[in-house]
Amino acid sequence: MKLNRREFVGTGVAAASTLAAPIVHAAGHGKPKVVVVGGGAGGATAARYIAKDSEGEIDVTLIEPSRSYYTCFFSNLYIGGFRELDSIEHSYGTLAAEYGINVVHDWATGVDRDAKTVALAGGGSVPYDRLVLSPGIDFVEGSVAGWDLNAQNAMPHAYKGGSQTELLKAQIEAMPEGGTFVMVAPPNPYRCPPGPYERISMVAHVLNTSNPTAKIIIADPKESFSKQALFEEGWQKHYGGMITRIGPDFGGGNVTVDPAAMTVDIDGETVNADVVNVIPAQKAGHICDAAGLTEGNWAPVVPQTMQSRMDENIHILGDATNQGDMPKSGYSANSQAKVAAMAVRGALTGSRVFPAKFSNTCWSLIETNDGVKVGATYEATDEKIAKVDGFVSQTGEDAALRKATYEESIGWYEGITTDMFG
Amino acid sequence: MILSVLGGVALVLGTAYGWTARDHRDAELAALTDRLAQVEARSASLSEQAAQVSELEAKLSELEAALVAAQEEAEAARQAALAPTPVIESPAESEPEEDTVVAVADGLEFGDPEQGKAVFGQCSFCHKIGQGAQDGIGPHLNGIFGRRAGAHEGFKYSEDMSMMGADGLTWNLETLNAYLENPKALVSRTRMNFAGLEEEQDRADILAYLRQFSASPQNIPEAAPTAQAREVELPDDILAIVGDTDYGEYLSSECKTCHQQDGTDEGIPSITQWPTEDFVIAMHAYKQKLRPHPVMQMMAGRLSAEEIAALAAYFGNLD
Ligand SMILES: Cc1cc2nc3c(=O)[nH]c(=O)nc-3n(C[C@H](O)[C@H](O)[C@H](O)COP(=O)(O)OP(=O)(O)OC[C@H]3O[C@@H](n4cnc5c(N)ncnc54)[C@H](O)[C@@H]3O)c2cc1C
Repeated sequence: MKLNRREFVGTGVAAASTLAAPIVHAAGHGKPKVVVVGGGAGGATAARYIAKDSEGEIDVTLIEPSRSYYTCFFSNLYIGGFRELDSIEHSYGTLAAEYGINVVHDWATGVDRDAKTVALAGGGSVPYDRLVLSPGIDFVEGSVAGWDLNAQNAMPHAYKGGSQTELLKAQIEAMPEGGTFVMVAPPNPYRCPPGPYERISMVAHVLNTSNPTAKIIIADPKESFSKQALFEEGWQKHYGGMITRIGPDFGGGNVTVDPAAMTVDIDGETVNADVVNVIPAQKAGHICDAAGLTEGNWAPVVPQTMQSRMDENIHILGDATNQGDMPKSGYSANSQAKVAAMAVRGALTGSRVFPAKFSNTCWSLIETNDGVKVGATYEATDEKIAKVDGFVSQTGEDAALRKATYEESIGWYEGITTDMFG
Repeated sequence: MILSVLGGVALVLGTAYGWTARDHRDAELAALTDRLAQVEARSASLSEQAAQVSELEAKLSELEAALVAAQEEAEAARQAALAPTPVIESPAESEPEEDTVVAVADGLEFGDPEQGKAVFGQCSFCHKIGQGAQDGIGPHLNGIFGRRAGAHEGFKYSEDMSMMGADGLTWNLETLNAYLENPKALVSRTRMNFAGLEEEQDRADILAYLRQFSASPQNIPEAAPTAQAREVELPDDILAIVGDTDYGEYLSSECKTCHQQDGTDEGIPSITQWPTEDFVIAMHAYKQKLRPHPVMQMMAGRLSAEEIAALAAYFGNLD
């Protein structure tokens, strides 16, 4: 379709309301420009879909500081020894070479929403007609007493991919015989609801073979957690006695850590630990705040298009958003990215816009060939992304089904990473 | 022995929950009950055979020990005598015996075609066989024995399958047995969504069944044995919907989080290039919760008949 802007204004069904006035292109003429900040589950998918489906009609720039993206998904399986590190590492080569995306390895430091430009740490700025932000999470300072980012080498969070995950794995493997692993679990809402508990399973898997007298303690501020019955059943079955979870009733939410002494104080009781995995409370990636797009810790969005509620020229995806019922997951971010990509193309090139459909499934591995999953479908209502239907694996399922579920997760991983990076 | 037979049942049950389940649940249940009865009957005779096998195994290790002893003796004798002629009588005596035993253990044989027909139930959503069988999601299997891999005209194979054929892979008892045991071990990026038949007996049986349709066209039995009722009965107007490919392309983005567009299949089946009607029927079977997979029931559950047709049109025409 070769419409120019004037012809297509108002033709996009869902996006029509957002196109109150014709928009003049960033450079004043030439192709419409889309800038994507963050090359993760949301950003890489959005960049790829916009470039692929606009067939060269839109200029796409992806700003991402790292040359390699290490997925957080399956990073627990790496800790458990089920995956190699390089199998969860992905580069941006195909996005640049095959999809013609201009990949800029730099940090975005700010957004001038009036001038519609993104400032780069390395100097200069990039103009946009539409901006897509998918920066993931940052941590809420002071949410775990005694811990800050300077302590992340002593007490890693391993909640952003790559070196933190490697560090945590190395620390677990170096634990003394009969040692103690403590996880400080995060409060809601946070990235990947089953993530901490899948991690516990993988740590138990490692220790159960290499260090069976070791202990695992979870200090948890939450009453309950995702797939709890399934995890607890699996822990009992595979790792009986190794894992103790201290919930809020017993002071699991009242934690102070001392990274120098390697102690964790749980409701007045001091635990000497060998490895401490602190997963702090979370908030939208800093750039959202810097651009003035947050309310509280997260960036509110319009469900139908993933546009910021504060700026119609900016779409926000993934963990950083406050959108409603979807969990913060890679699958969700990928799903939202496709809705946003369609809306962006509709607005900039007049391509057809269909009703938004969202979905999510999160697989978790409890022990070798013991996979479980939880999922749901969602639709856009005026006030939020609302859950339509869902399912969760059942306790007591047979081994063949659990194995098939695990194998499915491997297929999903291949599928989603291909969908992100080409 | 008995354990491994029960393992076979678990495999079949497992498949019923998994991606490859395709039959109407009732039919499947009937087949399973049937099969269970057959397996139970067989397990008795198998435990007998198991006793015989352990007897044979004991004999084999005796013979092996004798062989080693004989070889050592021969070596010692040769060294002692420093004679140029090796003493080979003893090993030569035991060798034929040993060969026979090995041949029995490794030998591939056709099993029972009637049993094979039941096992083939798992394959029949994708593969048709018998008179008038047409290609579907997979190629029809008449004349599969002796056919070169990836060479049946008119069917679009995965790149790997075509390459293997070009490299000379031809279907016979041995190659089909290997392929059925672990499809991806033989043809790594085959589009066939099937984990493999673990049980040697199942493979022998199914190969006996397939063999009946391969000798020459005249040998194909009159009644088309896999002519099946459709998995779901859909009104003609639903089957007649012409899918909107553009809409299908958007909707497909949701499928592609798991199903890879190029048909690569690892734990999640390929859905590209399916005949439109098969796609529509499969999706409606999930929508009506006749097929068991919870993710697919959920995904299909909220798709309208138009949306299913749109997806079928889009995926059916993918290169
Ligand atoms: C242990 C663990 C296990 C998980 N398992 C699963 C799972 O099994 N399934 C699942 O679906 N999800 C899983 N997740 C969740 C998943 O990783 C996240 O939800 C997903 O990555 C979110 O995507 P995103 O695009 O919002 O952020 P990210 O994928 O984190 O991407 C953000 C990117 O933005 C970049 N960035 C940030 N700020 C800037 C800036 N200012 N300028 C430029 N670039 C910037 C970052 O470098 C990063 O590459 C897991 C997470 C964890 C921690």
